[in-house]
Amino acid sequence: MSDTILFLLVDGLTNGLVYALLALSLVLVFTVTRVVNIAQGEYVMLGALTLADLLQGRMPGTLYLLIGGLALCAILDVGRWRRDWRQASLYTGGLIVAGIVALALTRGALALHLPVIGMMVVALILVAPLGALIYRFTVHPIPNATTIVFVIISVGVSMSVQGLGLLIWGANPYPVDPIAAGGLMMGPVFIPYQSFAILVTALLAMGGLYLFSEFTLVGKALQASAMNRLGAQFCGIPVNATGALAFLLAAAFSAISGMLLAPLITANYEMGFMVGLKGFVGGAMGGLIDYPLSLVGVMIVGGLESTSAYVASAYRDVLVFSLLIPILLWRNTRSRVEAR
Amino acid sequence: MTKLLEVANLTVGYGEAIAIDDISFSVARGEFITFIGPNGAGKTTLLNSLMGVLQQTSGTVTFAGEDLKALKPEARVARGIVIVPERRELFPGLSVEDHLRLGAFLRRHEGRAKMVAALERIYALLPKLKERRKQLAGTLSGGEQQMVAVGRALMAEPQLLMLDEPSTGLAPRITEEIFEAIDRLKAAGMTGILVEQNANLALSVAERGFVLEVGNVVASGEAEQLRKDPRVLAAYLGAGDRYREAMTDT
Repeated sequence: MSDTILFLLVDGLTNGLVYALLALSLVLVFTVTRVVNIAQGEYVMLGALTLADLLQGRMPGTLYLLIGGLALCAILDVGRWRRDWRQASLYTGGLIVAGIVALALTRGALALHLPVIGMMVVALILVAPLGALIYRFTVHPIPNATTIVFVIISVGVSMSVQGLGLLIWGANPYPVDPIAAGGLMMGPVFIPYQSFAILVTALLAMGGLYLFSEFTLVGKALQASAMNRLGAQFCGIPVNATGALAFLLAAAFSAISGMLLAPLITANYEMGFMVGLKGFVGGAMGGLIDYPLSLVGVMIVGGLESTSAYVASAYRDVLVFSLLIPILLWRNTRSRVEAR
Repeated sequence: MTKLLEVANLTVGYGEAIAIDDISFSVARGEFITFIGPNGAGKTTLLNSLMGVLQQTSGTVTFAGEDLKALKPEARVARGIVIVPERRELFPGLSVEDHLRLGAFLRRHEGRAKMVAALERIYALLPKLKERRKQLAGTLSGGEQQMVAVGRALMAEPQLLMLDEPSTGLAPRITEEIFEAIDRLKAAGMTGILVEQNANLALSVAERGFVLEVGNVVASGEAEQLRKDPRVLAAYLGAGDRYREAMTDT
């Protein structure tokens, strides 16, 4: 019995850490831009499938998404050529260079047969900018829209990206190699090395975000835009750039989460939505604004998921999502107390 | 004298409602002017429009020879137009020193030495900020928050400093401290626009003044002159009853 509990605990912790990266992304995006990003899970799928392609020696379809997105960015900027052709040519030139670098990087990585960690970095470099591009296309034109408008837009983004995923990768699942195969017997429990990899990577990512936002001026600017958008503008902080940065970092975190998760479940075009929603349940615990509470939330989600998978496997997702009801009730009583 | 800011026929509205109605004025380099007037006269609207937070409906605003119409707030800050907003607009979870550093966000590439020197200048001007520099802005008193807002604005090295009701909600002693700092800035050659409900205070700092009522300038002139203007005396300098009696007598 105690073996089972230990096993479930490790499993729950692993799941929780994967969702933690998602919840972190959701909180980051929501605080800086006020977007409840339903599409956040799609970066999980993109990360996992890009890594699958790279590991099997194919040109990843993500590259075409990226280059297409950069081209669209250049097209949206045509209005500036008449006003300020110098700036406009610099901008378009930068986009072209970014596209060429991405292409060269992917070809180089494929030619060199990098190890899994190296391929993860390349996949990250391909997926993360997509976050900034999606910000450019969906939020940038209407920064003062209401939350509900952004929710609807993000549902649209989620569907479109899933459709593109289906178009590029088809409906088949792809196996993804873990960072390290095998595992370790710790007492009575077998722990796969991938679980350790998840622990280390998740902690490094979270620690990195913490150091970035506490010890760099740009990180502080990101926090400032989250706390008071108008005040940030009065400091000369370009709030559209911080919004894009938040989307980019969030995409990076979610992609990492997908790349860590994929070896455990195989990657396919519709894996992201479910993972995204589970991250959301955890994030809801912190009201999408509180990092520590969100982490508590995702750990509860992870733990409940692994125990319910063991006890009543068919109802696993039902149980996880019904967690949202007590969480929302609890948030409601809390906010009422605060309002008083 | 060269004009730093020139505003011609500026009109600003919220949808259909016009808040600033065809106002023209200019500010010369090194000059401090003030807008006084009651609540809802359009003083804050005027500053927000100069800052680029509100779109102007018509008219032109020229700063150092450049038309500002298309510029976003952050671009205006880069040109040296900086505001100390009425509601301070601080970041509650960041420390006082973080606010000051963020005030110099656009000058972040100028290097560490310059940043430290700029911080020292602010601490010399507002010594209370140095005591509180590790404290979170959300835990400061109203007066200290106002000082943070002033310090943050100065870190941007403004060409034109706009102060929106710096005395609102502050104890007289704190107000005095803030206005002493403004006096010192003025003596150092700062150009500024001060918006105040406390007309006496405003006219003691500024060289020229404008009285704003429901979006229109109803009186303007040298500060000394305005102080003696019966309309100003009546409405803003607490001589209302006497003025009204005088009017009904005639």
